[in-house]
Amino acid sequence: MDDFLQLILEPMKEVFSKFKEFAPNILATMTILLVGILFARIMKAVLLRFLRAIKFDSWSDRMGLTVVMRKGDLWAKPSVAVGSIVFWLLLIISLLTGLSALKIHAIDNLVAQFFLYLPRAFSAVLILVFGYIIAGFIGRAVLITAVNSGYHYAKLLAEAVRLLLTVLILAMALEQLQVAPGIVVAAFSIIFGGIVLALAVSFGVGGIDAARRMIEKEEERKEVKKDIEHM
Amino acid sequence: MGDFYQTGVITTLHNLGKPSLERLETELRHYSSARPVALVLPALYSEFEGPAMPKIIEELSKVKYLQQIVLVLGKASDKEFKKARELMSPVPYEVKIIHNEGKRIHEIYDTVRRNGLDPGQDGKGRSAWLAYGYVIAEGKADVIALHDCDIVTYSRELLARLCYPVVNPNLDFVFCKGFYSRVTDRMHGRVTRLLVTPLVRSIQILQGEHRFLKFLDSFRYPLAGEFCMITDMARVNRIPWDWGLEVGSLAEVYRNYSPRRVCQVDIAATYEHKHQALSADDPEKGLMKMTVDICKSIFRTLASEGAAFSDGFFKSLAVTYLRNAEDTIMKYEADAAINGLIFDRHEEAKAVEAFTRAIGVAAKAFMDDPMGTPLIPNWSRVTSAIPGILDMLKKAVDEDNR
Amino acid sequence: MGSITLRKEVQEQLERIKTADILVGIPSYNSARTIGHVVRAVHAGIVKYFPDKKAVLVNSDGGSIDGTIEVVNGTAIEDFQSILLHHRIEPFFKITTPYIGIPGKGSAFRAIFEIAAALNVKACAVVDSDLRSITPEWVELLVKPVIENGFDYVAPLYHRHKYDGTITNSIVYPLTRALYGKRVRQPIGGDFGFSGSLAKFYLTKDVWNTDIARYGIDIWMTTEAIANNFKVAQSFLGAKIHDPKDPGADLSAMLAQVAGSAFRLMETYRDVWKQVKGSETVPTFGFQYMVGLEHVKVDVNRMLTLFREGVKGLREIWLKILGAGDFGEVEALGTRPDPEFRFPLQLWTRIVYDYALAYHKRKLPLEHLLKSLTPLYLGKTASFVMEVEDRGQEEAEEEIEKLCREFEQGKEHLINNWT
Repeated sequence: MDDFLQLILEPMKEVFSKFKEFAPNILATMTILLVGILFARIMKAVLLRFLRAIKFDSWSDRMGLTVVMRKGDLWAKPSVAVGSIVFWLLLIISLLTGLSALKIHAIDNLVAQFFLYLPRAFSAVLILVFGYIIAGFIGRAVLITAVNSGYHYAKLLAEAVRLLLTVLILAMALEQLQVAPGIVVAAFSIIFGGIVLALAVSFGVGGIDAARRMIEKEEERKEVKKDIEHM
Repeated sequence: MGDFYQTGVITTLHNLGKPSLERLETELRHYSSARPVALVLPALYSEFEGPAMPKIIEELSKVKYLQQIVLVLGKASDKEFKKARELMSPVPYEVKIIHNEGKRIHEIYDTVRRNGLDPGQDGKGRSAWLAYGYVIAEGKADVIALHDCDIVTYSRELLARLCYPVVNPNLDFVFCKGFYSRVTDRMHGRVTRLLVTPLVRSIQILQGEHRFLKFLDSFRYPLAGEFCMITDMARVNRIPWDWGLEVGSLAEVYRNYSPRRVCQVDIAATYEHKHQALSADDPEKGLMKMTVDICKSIFRTLASEGAAFSDGFFKSLAVTYLRNAEDTIMKYEADAAINGLIFDRHEEAKAVEAFTRAIGVAAKAFMDDPMGTPLIPNWSRVTSAIPGILDMLKKAVDEDNR
Repeated sequence: MGSITLRKEVQEQLERIKTADILVGIPSYNSARTIGHVVRAVHAGIVKYFPDKKAVLVNSDGGSIDGTIEVVNGTAIEDFQSILLHHRIEPFFKITTPYIGIPGKGSAFRAIFEIAAALNVKACAVVDSDLRSITPEWVELLVKPVIENGFDYVAPLYHRHKYDGTITNSIVYPLTRALYGKRVRQPIGGDFGFSGSLAKFYLTKDVWNTDIARYGIDIWMTTEAIANNFKVAQSFLGAKIHDPKDPGADLSAMLAQVAGSAFRLMETYRDVWKQVKGSETVPTFGFQYMVGLEHVKVDVNRMLTLFREGVKGLREIWLKILGAGDFGEVEALGTRPDPEFRFPLQLWTRIVYDYALAYHKRKLPLEHLLKSLTPLYLGKTASFVMEVEDRGQEEAEEEIEKLCREFEQGKEHLINNWT
């Protein structure tokens, strides 16, 4: 009977002792978390008061930052939005810190990786944002020049250029994020190369006549054509 | 209305012969393709449950020359806003309802306020102002028409006649005000008949002719809530947010444009809408507040044009007005008699007494604070202070209407 | 700024000459074929009409490789006897200087202004180097109003073919007239007279790295003179015949630079043009006579095609700039068959003002904005050509006068929306 009891109690004792070992860690984590939440709350409140005092909302309205928020259907006051961002940031940091207090190796690894990944994510976002703007700018420049030259398929050309640039930008961003890099590079090469090839072929085939006419026109142009003087 | 007399310094467009609505609407359809028209409707949710709104919606569904309707819904919860959208769905062209009590629009008002500009208190003036902002933000309409939503005798003809002078590019009008006779079994429109006209004439007796008063006196129904204007005016005019809305708006039109380009048009043979209860004692309620605000607006406009006021002037004004108003009552009594209309001399006299008191209240308020103007800053001013405000407003309304 | 644009040998020449009364500047670039005639005409003009004045001829060259500078230096004046000149001649100096800066007329002018300021001249004139129709009288007509009548700025007045100068006729003249209130008919003529004090004033402005240094210099000079209340006049010079500009010159770029300069100046002088109402004539010198002009071929079809392509391709851009109402009208215009294609004057007025407003509000990157005007401009030009095809010179001028009145009346739209 005694042995049987021993059999039951032994594993329980083990669990209990393991738990005793582990308990302070958990306690530490919970404490850090709680302190973190409190701290984040206080910081948010302080920040809000500060922003209100320096009339941050009004500045944001005049600088056009509020408009950007509204365009994304975010209707909170700019100061409140900033406060929330700061709050969540602090919360995440305290969460991560708390997790590391657990001293579980696997989790430590994850946390470290997360922090390493942040810069990449950030640069990927930057690439997307600037890439979008640049693609739009170049696309529009191509459109206007083509229209002014009388090119009938101006819009198509401009869209093709913008598409090409967008594909390029996306590939660059994905590469930054290191999402299946090998596949992304391969896919990009295929798409990009394909588009360029298609353009070249269509230009060549469809353009034979046009090219001939262009060359003939150039010869014509050599003699000075009298047209109206715009200036 | 049977005559073709031209009053005062603006152009009067009468209802002559038997004008055909179809011809009018055909021309409007043709002109509006080059000068698109937006209709602004300041409305309270309670009006959707009233007798006038269903008829108005039905008539508007048949109109083919409007680019869009912008309805500003006041005093409505989110549920009521949804209900209003459903009720407006029979209209086949674009309808946008501005949810005045919604959180997005609240944030817009807040944005304006925190940048040092005051959009004023809730009311028809502020609602109209907001709607103008949206129309400007959309950039689609060249002409804005506005009327109330409590017109029981509404018909398409009213809207067509209201829009025509401004939409027709050959006529070169920038502003058009409606007028009508508010007669059922008796004469209504006490504030116009017994306050505005005698008051304006009394001031002219005391101070001599004044260009603004001549302008104001040219209007047969200066308090009409129906008018039509070019969108550029919505950018430039400052709107009063109190009851001095109509008179104050006319003052702004006078200030910014030449009377040659202003007209009034006979828009209805009969016209009926909700009546304001005359609370003779409480200056904050109903008709009394309206009267006080109108008087304040007139005094302020005149002062800004250089007229000088003193206590002595206001004392004389009270006396002159009373005399003038009593004469006017007699005139209307005769008019009612020959046309078989009910006319209660006692009621009319009571109204005049109340108005006299209102003039006194307004005079005191004016002398205490001559600079206080309940004018909402115009959109040019607001956009130069907050460059993105119109984009924000457009986004708010579009999202609310999604 | 200072004298960095002047080379050392020029500096030395200036020190020798010290001061002068009149300066005539000729900006040039590969103009060897024509500049000889211009130099002779200028010299003859000075000798005939200002014999008692000390004059300098300045050729500001953009790095010609066809020997322009040599032609200028070598243009002897042996045959001036046959141009009826028997007067005593005051010294006549020639300075030839390449200029530094963005290639273009503006940089050339800057060098000329600096020399004018250095020599403290009373009156200056500038003429194009490829003028075939210049006569000695041009010098008198551009300089005399400055020297004798106290004017600061003399614009040219030419008798041009009704189809020529469409950028002036449909944009620059109506716009400048409505904005600044002076009816200077050829604000971007290219040949001007101006006072020494105005030249010094021009030098105080730092615009030499912008579009103004290219095609914008003419509109800039005229606008600065009018907006700053200098005394402005114009002189009738006759026909303007010059070597045709390089047909490869990009119309789109020219238009963009001229319009862009005009719009940019509107920003600087908004307080001036907001106050101006209506317009008045400027004193005109010279005897106006009719000149026989050769017939000009116009390719209206190409212009209309480009306009219609623009309606298709630039739809979003034009919607943004013009608004739905006006764009709708433009779109409707595009569907009209060729013979009936007429661009309404009111619509064109609003388009130009809307572009000015869009420029001011930076609705688009400026380069794109200005270049997108080209198809609209071609549509307007085609419409004008067809409208005045069967009409004479004066009736064509009436058409332009109508457009100017539209611009003056529509100014209110511009003022109201300019925040």
